[in-house]
Amino acid sequence: MNRLGAIAVGVGTIFAIAAPFFLKPFGIYLISMWAVLTIAALGLNLTLGYAGQVSLAQGAFVGIGAYTVALLTQAGCPYVVAFVSASVLCFAIGWVLGYPALRVQHHYLAFVTLAFTTLVFLVLRNEEWLTNGIYGISGIARPIFFGWSTGKALDFYFFCLGTLAMLALATWWMLGSPWGRAFVALRENPIRALSLGVDTRRYTLMAFAIGSSLGGLSGALYAPLVQFIEPNSFALGMSFNLLLMVIVGGSGYFFGPFLGALVAVLLPEWMRITEGYYLLIYAMLIMVMMAFCPSGVLGLAERALKAMAQRDPSGPALRAGETPP
Amino acid sequence: MTAVLQVTNLRKTFGGITAVNDVSFDVHEAEILGIIGPNGSGKSTLFNCVLGQLLPNGGEVRVDGKPTTGMRPCDVNRLGVSRTFQLLQVFPQLSVRDNLILAGQEHQGSMYSRLIGRADAGLGDAARRMIEFFRLSHLADEQAAALSYGQQKLLDVAMAFMAGPRLVLLDEPAGGVNLTMLAHLRERLRAYHAERKATFVVIEHQMEFVMALCTRVLVLAEGRIIAEGAPQDIRRNPTVIEAYLGGRR
Repeated sequence: MNRLGAIAVGVGTIFAIAAPFFLKPFGIYLISMWAVLTIAALGLNLTLGYAGQVSLAQGAFVGIGAYTVALLTQAGCPYVVAFVSASVLCFAIGWVLGYPALRVQHHYLAFVTLAFTTLVFLVLRNEEWLTNGIYGISGIARPIFFGWSTGKALDFYFFCLGTLAMLALATWWMLGSPWGRAFVALRENPIRALSLGVDTRRYTLMAFAIGSSLGGLSGALYAPLVQFIEPNSFALGMSFNLLLMVIVGGSGYFFGPFLGALVAVLLPEWMRITEGYYLLIYAMLIMVMMAFCPSGVLGLAERALKAMAQRDPSGPALRAGETPP
Repeated sequence: MTAVLQVTNLRKTFGGITAVNDVSFDVHEAEILGIIGPNGSGKSTLFNCVLGQLLPNGGEVRVDGKPTTGMRPCDVNRLGVSRTFQLLQVFPQLSVRDNLILAGQEHQGSMYSRLIGRADAGLGDAARRMIEFFRLSHLADEQAAALSYGQQKLLDVAMAFMAGPRLVLLDEPAGGVNLTMLAHLRERLRAYHAERKATFVVIEHQMEFVMALCTRVLVLAEGRIIAEGAPQDIRRNPTVIEAYLGGRR
C-alpha cells in the first residue's frame, strides 16, 4: 500500500471511531448497519472481486447467519457460540455451493446462486416450526461480554466496528499471502493457473466458503442490531444490494466494500428529503456511475491519480520514491 | 535409463476427427525434442493430452515411469512437468514478480502452510534470479499487462521454469516474436538447458528456431508421426516436404 492509501485508511479509521459521538441514535444505527454490511461485502468481494466467481447468494448467507444466531441465543446458547456456529455453518454451506462453480461460470453461476437465494428464502418463510415463518423472530438480545453490555447503540456500534476491524485484518492477511495471488490467478486465467500447479478446484471452493462465512458473520451481527428478523430481509434484494456495494466500491479492491457499503447505506437515507423520488434518483445515480466508471469509486480514484501523475512532470520521480510492496 | 516422458499409443478424437492417432514416442533426459507439423496436425492436442488438459481416448502417458494419464493438470505440474501455451498466458493484473512467484508457490509446502507462511512463499530470491536471467529486472514491479508482447512471451517462458521442472513443454515459443527477441529467447532457452540439464519438448513452426535448438525432431501430420530424426535429416526427408508442401498421394 502506498503512502496516500495509508493516510486514507488512517483518516477513515479516525472517522469511524469519532463519528458516533456526533450522531443521534438513528445515525449510530446507520453506521452500525454500514459496519455489519461491510463484512458481508468483504466476503462477496473475496468471492467475486478476487476469485472472479459471480455470486447472488451473499444475502442468503447473511440470513442463515442471522437466523442461526437468533435461534441459538433464544434457545439459551451463549452469543459467542452462536457467532462461531453461524460462521462454521455458512462456511460448510458455501463450500457445497461452490461445487456448481466448478462446472458453470459467469451468468450461469449467477443463476445457480440466485436459485440458492430463493431456496433459502422459501425455507425461512415456510418452515414455520423452525423460523416462525413470515412473523419472523423478535426480541433478539444484544450480547454481553464479561460484564460489558452492548445493549446501547453506541456500545453495539463499537462491537460491530471491532469485529469488522478484526475480520478485515484477517482477510487482508489472507489476500497478502500466496492464497491471494492464487485467487487472482483463478479470476484472470484458470487454465494457466491449473497448468502452474494451482489446484483451482480447492481454491474455488475455498473462495466460496470463506466469502460465505463472512456473510454468515455479518448476519450474526445483523440479528442483534435490528433485533427483529424476517425472511423478506434476506430475499434477493439484499443479495443485489451487496453486489451493488462491491461493484460501486470497486470490485477487486480491498477497500471497495467499505466505500460501497457507505454509499448503499447512507445514500438512500440522505435522499429521503426528495420523498417519493428517492428510488428513481438512486437508480439513475447507479446507472450513470456504472456507465462511466465500471471499476467503481476506487477504480475511478486510481484512474484520476494515474492521470495526475502523468500530467505532473515530477511524476516519474515520485514513483521512484515509492516503496515497493 | 528410463525416459523422462513416455507416450504410448495415444489417441484423441473430437467427434469424427482423430486429432491424435496412435502416437508413441519417448523423451530422454536432457534432450530437446522438436515437434513440427502443418497446422491442424495435432501438435497442441498432443500436448494437452500429455499434460492433462484433455483426457485422451486411449493410450498412456508416463512421467519418470509413473502413469499420469487422466491426472489433473495441477497434479501433473507438481510432478515437475510444466508448459507454455500457444497463445500468450500471463496474469495481466499481477506484477512480473507476482506472476513468477505464483508459478512456483504451489510447489512450496501444503495449501494451509502457505496461508500462514511468508507472503512470497519463500520464492522472492528465486523470482529475482529468474527475472535477472531473462533480463527483465527493470520491469519486475510492472503489471504484466504493461509489457510488450515479446516481453510477455519471455515472462510466459520464465513462469514455466519457475518451479524448477524436469520437463518443459513449449508450445510455439517463437510465435509472433520479433527476430531480436527470438534470438534472445533461443539463447536463454539454451542457457537454461545447459545450466539445469532440463528436458524440453518444443512445438514450433519457425524452422530456423527448431533446427538451431533441437537435438531430435518428430514430424506430425494428420495426427500421426510421419518422420523422426536429427534436424538436418528431417529437412531433406521427402515425406516431410510432401506433408508441408502438399503433393500427390
